[in-house]
Amino acid sequence: MASQNLDPALAAAAARRKDKSCDSPNKKDGHSVSTRLQKELMSLMMKCSGKGISAFPEDDNIFKWIGTIEGPAESVYESLKYKLSLEFPSRYPHVAPTVKFVTPIFHPNVDNDGNICLDILKEKWSALYDVGSLLMSLQILLGEPNNDSPLNVQAAELWTNQAAYKKTVLEKYHKATSK
Amino acid sequence: MAVTQASGNSQPSKSWELSLYELHRSPQEAITDETEIAVSPRSLHSELMCPICLDMLKNTYTTKECLHRFCQDCIITALRSGNKECPTCRKKLVSKRSLRPDPNFDALISKIYPSRDEYEAHQERVMAKLNKRHNTAALSTSIEEGLKVQALNRAQRVPPKRKQEFDLEGGELPPIDDDPAHCGDLNGDPLAPLPPGQEGLELAPPSAPLTPPLESPQEERGRLVRSHSEDLSSSQGCHSFQDQDSLQAMKRPRTSDESSSCGDVEGEIEGEGSLDMPDPSNEIELVFKPHPDEIMHSRPYMVRYLKTSALASIDHLAKYLSMRIALDLRDAGSMDSQSSSNQNEGGCGEFTIFISTYPGQFQPLTGNQTLEQVNERHWKANRPLEMYFLSKK
Repeated sequence: MASQNLDPALAAAAARRKDKSCDSPNKKDGHSVSTRLQKELMSLMMKCSGKGISAFPEDDNIFKWIGTIEGPAESVYESLKYKLSLEFPSRYPHVAPTVKFVTPIFHPNVDNDGNICLDILKEKWSALYDVGSLLMSLQILLGEPNNDSPLNVQAAELWTNQAAYKKTVLEKYHKATSK
Repeated sequence: MAVTQASGNSQPSKSWELSLYELHRSPQEAITDETEIAVSPRSLHSELMCPICLDMLKNTYTTKECLHRFCQDCIITALRSGNKECPTCRKKLVSKRSLRPDPNFDALISKIYPSRDEYEAHQERVMAKLNKRHNTAALSTSIEEGLKVQALNRAQRVPPKRKQEFDLEGGELPPIDDDPAHCGDLNGDPLAPLPPGQEGLELAPPSAPLTPPLESPQEERGRLVRSHSEDLSSSQGCHSFQDQDSLQAMKRPRTSDESSSCGDVEGEIEGEGSLDMPDPSNEIELVFKPHPDEIMHSRPYMVRYLKTSALASIDHLAKYLSMRIALDLRDAGSMDSQSSSNQNEGGCGEFTIFISTYPGQFQPLTGNQTLEQVNERHWKANRPLEMYFLSKK
């Protein structure tokens, strides 16, 4: 009995030790993650002007950014500005950041909570994507939704009727931004 | 690796999928004569960079099939944590065996950057400093440092005769970190692809001979630059990646055994200021001053010297300025009182930008004009464009 009780404790200790050994490379990763994010920030600040995208860390935390994308020209989202939140995990860029729309948006691939369904944010993520390319992809997604796997079915169905679609988009946008 | 076995015949056992480019390209002729090719620091940087950590390649590993390069650590971690495919092109990478170490490439990098260890140590220190404060204000400090250096660089650009003297001054500047130094230019991005025709900007060899060349005990070319900055800036270790970038990008009209040549000295002086810039004819220099009313608000707004694309608009400038000043204020705040960095948040808003064609007269500029247009319409003088800013509230 005693040994049975002991075993889990030992296992727990071993697990803790294992955690620790995982921790130390994580710390090193954390360092290189912030290095990479700082590099991204600098290149973004310098080259993204004019493309309708921008991003900057929120407060003092380099692992949490706020991004803005402008609706692509000649789309129903033209000249509308949407805010997004980007959260970077400690294993970034090997793991995709969590990206969400902060400004409510009517779009087939975005749900009411701002969650986005986009392959490159999930299984098609690659370490070569960065904040800039991600925001650009999302900007393109606005004008070219994937209506085959919608999170917002109503939006996907309405897409064919662009006039009505645009009306809904604007209603939602103005309601959200006039607050 | 999924090897397509063509069993039962003598065909090669592997089918290569060639892209259209690969099918039609003609091999590059090897350069055997004295031909020199100028490479811009930016394209050189992107060639030697690991696309995962965005740092210089370290222990290069190359994918066997698609020939993309990564740091060993980066690609191993990527394979472990993600899909088994090349991060660059999504070609299947079954395991580590789909990769090979690339010591030749490592050797190439260490040839181009012999003082890499030093560069890394320096970067390490800067990062440690940044991490200690771990906020964007700290980041802005390093950007600011870069800006100051650049402003000095430009303000002090002198005729060739005095270049040596300038170099001495330059050596006393605070350490330049690789990236922050780029930052002052709205378009000084090391990674951004250059528009066509802007690659390979080169320096003309100095026209006037310099006063006695600096002493340089080292014979190796790469070390030469370092020896200057060590002499001049003592133990600061301020040799930056960028100096080398610039140096490497210089066209070298001489053979490599001339060690203390003026070309190298010039590379160091001019490097950051001019080589890094795309075609100068598309760039505009401007002096940005606080509007007299702004000065009366007694805010610590200073005169700023910028150089940016002529295609940038007044809106871009206003946006840049409000971000810059927000960072400055924040930074100043966190220096005064360690505790609060948010006391100044939102302390500055939008700016109106004016041009003063006659002394004492300020004409506001509309947002969508490009600097080029402003220059043509309002500023005919043959000196940098002068503009004024006033916060809107």
